[in-house]
Amino acid sequence: MSPSELLKPTLYAAEGTAAVPDHPALHGGKCTCGHVFFPMQTYGCEVCGRNGDALQPLRLSGRGKLIATATVHIHAGKPPKPEVKPHEVPFTIGSIALEDGPTVRTLLVGVAGKALKPGTAMVATLVPVGTGAASILDLRFTPAS
Amino acid sequence: MAKTLKDLRPVYVVGAGWHRYQPLSETPYVMLGLPAIRGALADAGIAWTDVESTYFGTGLLGMAAGRAMLKHLGATGRPLVHIENASASGSAAFRHACIEIAAGIADVSLVIGVDKPGVVQRAFTKTGISNLADDAIVPFTHFALLTNEYANKHGVAPEDVALVAVKNHRNGALNPHAHRQQVRTLEEILGGRPVSGTLTALQCCPVGEGAAAVIVVSEDAIKRLGIDPAHAVRVTASAASSERAGAVGAADASITKDTIAEALAQAQIGPRQIDVMELHDAFTIEELQYVEAMGICKPGEAIHLLKEGAFDIGGQCAVSPSGGLIAMGHPIGPTGVGQIGELALQLRGDAGPRQHKGAKVGLAHMVGLGAVCYVHVLQRP
Repeated sequence: MSPSELLKPTLYAAEGTAAVPDHPALHGGKCTCGHVFFPMQTYGCEVCGRNGDALQPLRLSGRGKLIATATVHIHAGKPPKPEVKPHEVPFTIGSIALEDGPTVRTLLVGVAGKALKPGTAMVATLVPVGTGAASILDLRFTPAS
Repeated sequence: MAKTLKDLRPVYVVGAGWHRYQPLSETPYVMLGLPAIRGALADAGIAWTDVESTYFGTGLLGMAAGRAMLKHLGATGRPLVHIENASASGSAAFRHACIEIAAGIADVSLVIGVDKPGVVQRAFTKTGISNLADDAIVPFTHFALLTNEYANKHGVAPEDVALVAVKNHRNGALNPHAHRQQVRTLEEILGGRPVSGTLTALQCCPVGEGAAAVIVVSEDAIKRLGIDPAHAVRVTASAASSERAGAVGAADASITKDTIAEALAQAQIGPRQIDVMELHDAFTIEELQYVEAMGICKPGEAIHLLKEGAFDIGGQCAVSPSGGLIAMGHPIGPTGVGQIGELALQLRGDAGPRQHKGAKVGLAHMVGLGAVCYVHVLQRP
């Protein structure tokens, strides 16, 4: 069996941070002004405008708290490539405030029948999204317990 | 020191015209725009040859739509510019026409918004920076998330949020230019097709085709062209902004708060002095959030005022008497221009069955993807 491939390796890594080793880390960044952001980029800081080397990669822990959710019933988008499964409705999107600062929005898994109250502890997880033999993994968030 | 619109020459709206907002049809955009322009000229009682410049708000038509349409009014050789600012394209076009008149560069300008649904790739998908699920999160889900957050924070039920759509469909049913002209019950709205979160189809604006035009002029033009002064509504504030780093809460509401505050300061009025307003209610939740952001009531209290009828035509402040984006529709380029036209009719007392009696002060508000925000205040002299 071939090793798993990440769908968006520029955005996350299978390995966790030292603080949260069991859940995938997100590739964020930090500016010399202190602003922590996601995803990593060197175009320029949204707070102070510094660019280039002032912006350094910072791995963010895949842990945060739920702000809001929405279950989507209509979706027309196509998958990024044919080897990836399309999003089938209904699917649930969550806003998560990462403990490292930034807020991210992405698909949630493992939420069927669960009360999704604001403040619920959430963690990142990798799920298979491939259509064929190759293992392709993408990042999702799920309730921590 | 920079000046505001009110420090410069007075600017007036003296005419408004529309082509009905409607589902996509075979009608060429030229034949949407021309009737709206001819309607606005007739309403103002002026000729096309009196117009010294044109501001064309459009988001979806593609490059250089203007001359191919305007030449059919007689090619006068006057300047023309196209303005794209997402949902706020028409509002931006209006602001820049007002600035030109206020500055004394022209005495008569046309603002026209025309659009037809079309496939335009949004530039933010081409920045080279991707995100976790940008293929799965479209605007209606952005607002479904905000609805969920608001409902949890303030203990508001989804059926309460849907009351915004009941009111705005009721208003739209009185507007011959509206995309949706049918009164809807709360049951019809809640029982409609689920879209995202608690949002149903009739709580989301229809994006179709259409056109709206207004004529803006100086005092000199009113005198020179013999325009009826009773037909003139003054633009007393124009404020614009874009999203900033470090703002608290959802960007749409935070830029609304800041921009409306700036516009009210320019016009030297308070939020409770507004008689009639047209808000960017692309989704029901927005009306509640923006009414609260502008200081009409405290966060979480808009729903109580809505239930009491405070935002109805004839209430404390008529909110989106045109039907708003939810019922009048949101064809993009025309939307912000149509808001100004509706306020002009309301402040002149010419709004027919949807007239908010005694309206003296009007406010128009648009948010555009990005996010950007525009607010204008219009007053009966």
